[in-house]
Amino acid sequence: MGRSKLIASTNRKPKKRVRLAKPPGRPRSVAPQLEPGAPSDLDLMRGIQAEDPDALSQLYDRYNGILKALILRVIHNEAEADDLLQEIFMEIWNQAKNFSAQKGKPLGWMVTLARRRAIDGLRKKQAYARAEERLQNETEQQPDAWVHNATEEEIVLSDTRALIQKVIRGLPPAQQQAIDLAFFRGMSQREIAAKTNTPLGTVKTRLELGLKKIYDGLKELRDEL
Amino acid sequence: MNFSEFQNQSRLYVIGTLEPEELEEFERARKKFGKKAEEFITKCYALHEAFALSLRPAKASAAIKDRLMAMVKAKQET
Repeated sequence: MGRSKLIASTNRKPKKRVRLAKPPGRPRSVAPQLEPGAPSDLDLMRGIQAEDPDALSQLYDRYNGILKALILRVIHNEAEADDLLQEIFMEIWNQAKNFSAQKGKPLGWMVTLARRRAIDGLRKKQAYARAEERLQNETEQQPDAWVHNATEEEIVLSDTRALIQKVIRGLPPAQQQAIDLAFFRGMSQREIAAKTNTPLGTVKTRLELGLKKIYDGLKELRDEL
Repeated sequence: MNFSEFQNQSRLYVIGTLEPEELEEFERARKKFGKKAEEFITKCYALHEAFALSLRPAKASAAIKDRLMAMVKAKQET
């Protein structure tokens, strides 16, 4: 990989001006803003635990875009990503009883589940090489096109995304790349070291420093997370 | 391992990049620090959410939701 996806996706010029300031009177939140009166994520998870299909339907509407983007970043294939998205929401339905609000927020639980499934899917299909090739082609030919079907509205960065990307963009490229390979490709430190031709100790240091900076940078948002 | 080192390892742990030999030491430290350790690990999982939210949402094909809801309905009926 010539340049990591994280770098490619965060260093490009935004298509529209991004507002980074906190809007007056509105609490900054990393979670998508809900309509007044809309059920919270936790309400929906409790609904799913009570086997209410409408709760799953609403949770799907709220988060299918985020989860599909995550899956796409791992497997780089639209059709496979759609199939996996369906399987993941089915797993959310089946595993909802295992969700505990004491251990985190619903979105965090869903992202963890989706990432694991996507990385497992990538490994099972032994698609590393093919994904690598696609990734390389996409980066070289159309660096902005890693998410398909994006509407103009979707291209406008949200406050949340802009804030998180600002934190990520602040990292040195080598740290971004190490985190990208670890999180979105599921690579071990040794695999990253081999792929980037970097000593293992350096990879570990890059991951530790990069993750700490992101963690600290998100401190302001952490309670909302 | 002191708690500061444990915090560094926790961030690697939640994204699954601890090597096997590090994992053993991490689990020992996790037991040693107890509740404080569990609370910190829970906070670290927020990194997952942040990475996902850093991406531009992608649109799923319209048929996916229909298929999903049909599967849920079928499961409820069985």
